[in-house]
Amino acid sequence: MNLSYYAKKRITDIIISIIMLALLAITLLPIGWMVFSSLKSSTDIAIGRVGLSHNVEGKVDIRWQNYVDMWKNVNFGLYLRNSLVICGFTMFFAMVFATFAAYALSRFKFPGADLFSNATLATQMIPMIMYLIPIYIMFVKFTMMTGIPVKGTFPGIILIYSAWFLPFSIWILRGFFAAIPKELEEAALIDGCSRLRVFWHIALPLAMPGIIATGIYVFLNAWDELMFAWVLTSADTMTIPVGIRLFVGNYQNRFDLMMAAATVATIPVVVLFFLLQRHIVRGLTAGAVKG
Amino acid sequence: MARVLLENINKKFGDVNAVKNVNLEIKDQEFVVLVGPSGCGKTTTLRMVAGLEEITEGKIYIGNRLINDVPPKDRNIAMVFQNYALYPHMKVYDNMAFGLKLRGTAKHEIKKMVGETAQVLGLDNLLDRYPKQLSGGQRQRVALGRAIVRRPEVFLMDEPLSNLDAKLRVQMRAELQRIHKTLKATIIYVTHDQVEAMTLGQRIAVILNGELQQCDEPLKVYSQPSNRFVAGFIGSPPMNFVGGKVTKKDGNYSFESESFSIPVPLEVDGQLAGYVDKEVVFGIRPEDIWDVPSSAWIQQKILLESTVDFREIIGSETYLYLKVGRSQLVSRVNGMCNASSGSKFGIVINLNRIHFFDPASQTAII
Repeated sequence: MNLSYYAKKRITDIIISIIMLALLAITLLPIGWMVFSSLKSSTDIAIGRVGLSHNVEGKVDIRWQNYVDMWKNVNFGLYLRNSLVICGFTMFFAMVFATFAAYALSRFKFPGADLFSNATLATQMIPMIMYLIPIYIMFVKFTMMTGIPVKGTFPGIILIYSAWFLPFSIWILRGFFAAIPKELEEAALIDGCSRLRVFWHIALPLAMPGIIATGIYVFLNAWDELMFAWVLTSADTMTIPVGIRLFVGNYQNRFDLMMAAATVATIPVVVLFFLLQRHIVRGLTAGAVKG
Repeated sequence: MARVLLENINKKFGDVNAVKNVNLEIKDQEFVVLVGPSGCGKTTTLRMVAGLEEITEGKIYIGNRLINDVPPKDRNIAMVFQNYALYPHMKVYDNMAFGLKLRGTAKHEIKKMVGETAQVLGLDNLLDRYPKQLSGGQRQRVALGRAIVRRPEVFLMDEPLSNLDAKLRVQMRAELQRIHKTLKATIIYVTHDQVEAMTLGQRIAVILNGELQQCDEPLKVYSQPSNRFVAGFIGSPPMNFVGGKVTKKDGNYSFESESFSIPVPLEVDGQLAGYVDKEVVFGIRPEDIWDVPSSAWIQQKILLESTVDFREIIGSETYLYLKVGRSQLVSRVNGMCNASSGSKFGIVINLNRIHFFDPASQTAII
């Protein structure tokens, strides 16, 4: 075929678009399935009916009621609150510490800087599950020795999450700080800033897109985390991933309510993402190039 | 305003001695240009004055205050960076007001000071913009404004014009001189561009390999370079150098190279007394090699035969690359000169402008 350069380019663009749409569809399918299932009756799910059934009056049976029942069946409100508290504090602490550490690593030369840097990366190579038992034992022993409860408390799980997400956050944020031209900080030093003020007035505002992006990433990961939450939280401090499992248990199999709860649990995350989408995209690309 | 005094300044980065024993006094209200090839230590020197680099050895005074251990913010200096270093998240107004705010200047006072400075630099209607909305020239002005508005004792400028296009650079050069006059400022200016150095500096300090080679008025540096490096660095095209020997016959000194010989004028020959029959390097600037028709006015001269190798036409003038015997010389002649390559060309050397350098120490003999 004898096509011009631009005709070929257009065809390539179309093919790429089709592939992208296909990938998008694959990604969205489980989420669509989740939302769809949340509107079905538990019977329909149990018998594996693909579509929606018709009720007695011959109308399509859309179970909006699932979204009401889910709050009564298990204490979903509590789990939602717990998740918000735990993830919110985790994001806050991880970002505060990571910001300072990342800034120091990107700007100051001190003995052990490289070692520290590499050590943070090394922690990410150990599977999360390897930490589970040691941490559990540590929590129990700490309480035995001091009498201060840790397991099943907010501070306990927040501490573990913050520590777990810190190395990753440091690593990402270091790239953002390194991307800020040194001259800007030098200009500020001469303009009358102390080192701390340079950080506050210059480095922090300029790295903010990165901090927001990293913070949201941490929030999302904490929001979805099941293993630690399952072991280290109690009935009062249970998060959504743990709580949602109660819909399926010894005495009930409410996949319909579970899907409704899962849908509701997704909403804050999606809202957060769309609100800050600009920052996340900018943040991720900036980190990618300069990190 | 204040003077700046550098005493035996040394800077070492590990084993590398970036700045060696620099002694320099910049007088109050003086405009001094540090010039040298890239990597020569001029920027490092400036950064030590700014407090951005630690001084390995030596002392720096601003006014009468020893500032070795004074943090940059307390040195009462301002610096203009090559890449402007404007705060991207602040508007022009805030960029300029930042230093004043940090010093706790009253709000109405800041407004007045920024307003005045903006007017001087023609930035009045850009105050509400962000740096990314400005052109290169405007950014440079803001960077200058940010420095000026604080009325510091000393201005430090690190190649502030090198990111501008040629036309804007000429314009900003004039502007800088105007600012220097109106503010009566002490300015230390770093550049690798000798034209900037010559046009801006009241004195220029030539630096090579971390060592201060010569510091003097521009014309003095140009006409009496203290060593071969300065002679070759300042001036474009650079000075011609030819190696040879000094001879003395019947009391008259002359320079003999394998390609030509040149009599040394009586006024200066005494300085060559110690070099009879020894190697020297002869130097002559391209503009001191004339074509025969234009040379009538020159009193002490010598005529040499040359062959034109090739030429560069600038318009106002022409650079002729000449072969005299086996030596190559560059001559700057009038743009009207139509010597074509390959042709024979008579050149006249102005003997009052010849230089000699010691080949071992590279220092100037004459």
